[in-house]
Amino acid sequence: MSAEEQHTKSLVRETIYAATVYLDDQRWNDWIDQCDEDFKYSVVTYSPEVRKDLSYLILSRKEMHPYFDLLPKHNSDHSPLRRHASIYTVDVSADGKTAEAVTSFIMTQEMIDGISAPLYAGENRLYLTGKYYDKFRINGESVKFTERVARVYTRRFDKGTHWVF
Amino acid sequence: MPARNHKQWTAKPDLELGEWVDSRIYSDEEIFEEELEKLWKKSWIALCHESELPEPYDFRTAIIAREPIIIVRGPDNKIRAFLNVCPHRGMTIERRPSGSFAPAQPSGNPKHMTCLFHAWQFDMKGNCVDIPRQKEGYQDRLDKSSQGLRALRCEVKYGGFVWVCLDDHTEFNVETWTAGAMDCIKDSIDAEPLELIHYHKAIIDCNYKLWHDTNSEFYHDYMHYHNRITGFNDEYFQRECSAFDNGHVNVGTFTVNYEEYDVAEDRGTLSFPNLPPDNWYMVDMFPGLNFNLRGSVVRMDLMTPLSANQVMIEFRGFGLKSDSAEDRAHRIQHHNSIWGPLGRNLHEDLIGVAGQGVTMTPKSEPRRILHGRHEGAYIHDEIGMRHFYETWGKKMDRLPSDPEQKYRPGKVVGPEMPPAKGLSTFAGKVA
Ligand code: FES
Ligand SMILES: [Fe+2]
Repeated sequence: MSAEEQHTKSLVRETIYAATVYLDDQRWNDWIDQCDEDFKYSVVTYSPEVRKDLSYLILSRKEMHPYFDLLPKHNSDHSPLRRHASIYTVDVSADGKTAEAVTSFIMTQEMIDGISAPLYAGENRLYLTGKYYDKFRINGESVKFTERVARVYTRRFDKGTHWVF
Repeated sequence: MPARNHKQWTAKPDLELGEWVDSRIYSDEEIFEEELEKLWKKSWIALCHESELPEPYDFRTAIIAREPIIIVRGPDNKIRAFLNVCPHRGMTIERRPSGSFAPAQPSGNPKHMTCLFHAWQFDMKGNCVDIPRQKEGYQDRLDKSSQGLRALRCEVKYGGFVWVCLDDHTEFNVETWTAGAMDCIKDSIDAEPLELIHYHKAIIDCNYKLWHDTNSEFYHDYMHYHNRITGFNDEYFQRECSAFDNGHVNVGTFTVNYEEYDVAEDRGTLSFPNLPPDNWYMVDMFPGLNFNLRGSVVRMDLMTPLSANQVMIEFRGFGLKSDSAEDRAHRIQHHNSIWGPLGRNLHEDLIGVAGQGVTMTPKSEPRRILHGRHEGAYIHDEIGMRHFYETWGKKMDRLPSDPEQKYRPGKVVGPEMPPAKGLSTFAGKVA
């Protein structure tokens, strides 16, 4: 592997981990800034209950701002969701202009709305498991997401889903 | 009145009988067991959709009142339902939520339901077709012809939903059971085949009726920013609630202003057949099933009560089988924006009932739960819940407002009055 490819891979890794921090901290605008104009975000799953591939959310870059801006107007569970992510693979294209990465992640929910506070408040629960399939555009030192497919292995969602995956 | 002491708090409210219930109906374990027997085992329940079993030998499993059920499509394309119970020693015949019996199983032949324990095999009509070493063990005392599965009443009806009733002797078929409540959406969902486009579920620590109540009252629009912003016009307040026999209710249509909500797409061009663009009907079927036709998508909620204080809710979405890939994608988007797990409304509804579940745990102090709003049977009238609990009272022979007493009729319908005006000045409208 060339030093250049090595360097690009580490830029991609940093980008993914930074996105994880932004999403954990609900810094939606910082997360959106990491995405290129043609970015597409989706949450998909395969449901053995109905033996079908399902899509739970699709957002373009353009739709992301209003989606997140409206959040404070909705009633949401106060329990934050956080990710534990491990990047499994990063593949950089031969011309070094694009890359793809696969990241395994789990999400935990820090219970705050403890059903009747403070019954469950303070504990953490496993919320979901999944993999991010990410695509990037690379321009020198700049790495931008062009696609994120969050493939989740969870189909039971009790509450808390306003804080996207 | 300032905050109340115990006596005031538990006193009879200044409302008429039928306009409130006692919280024990949502928390008492004995009442819950009785509901399973008197309501859930006597009702027709739509357990899944025919598109979940598209091919012969496909199956789907479900539960009504703790009874495990298997639904299969036979080689004759007929859909049948059985108890998912092996007549030998009571093993569950099929453990998966869905699949196909076409391929062989580790202990069974292709095209058979096989109990893996001792490999008794059944065909898609529920006949027992093989008992290993029958002669050696049972000699002439027991023959496989007497060991068929327990067949259940099953009908495919209204847009291809698969309805099952545990009561062999029910006086109803699906049509007479629904008693006209499905008529408002029938022509739209029966016009051409539907196909499942969405599935997810929740398990909430609350009584199943609380979810059903949420589906049948619209006064909780105040919880949903989306509803306030896209509705709350004069037309919205003209939506009528209608009551039908057997405890069912539906809510009439109006035109939703999706453009008011920043990330919503107009659903007009993809509206269901025989439905004016962007119209919205809701049907609440007793005792815990709901159909919701919102322009371009049908949603169906199926409740499976697990205990007095726990319910599984399965959320399904449907489009048209004939959809192009592009139309399908739009329909899924429409569905998900409000009702998907990451949608704007569903999660709020779940917060609502989870919060009610906390205040109504088994043995908690009995309280009054009010549903006494009269608004001329228009949208924020709580007539849907009142009608449900009248039927509940009759079928249970208990008084909903004091479940230790026998049923006597309460007030369901209020005085006639004109619909309210749209609340265009509501705070939610202000950006
Ligand atoms: S329990 Fe099913 S074959 Fe024995
Ligand atoms: Fe709601």
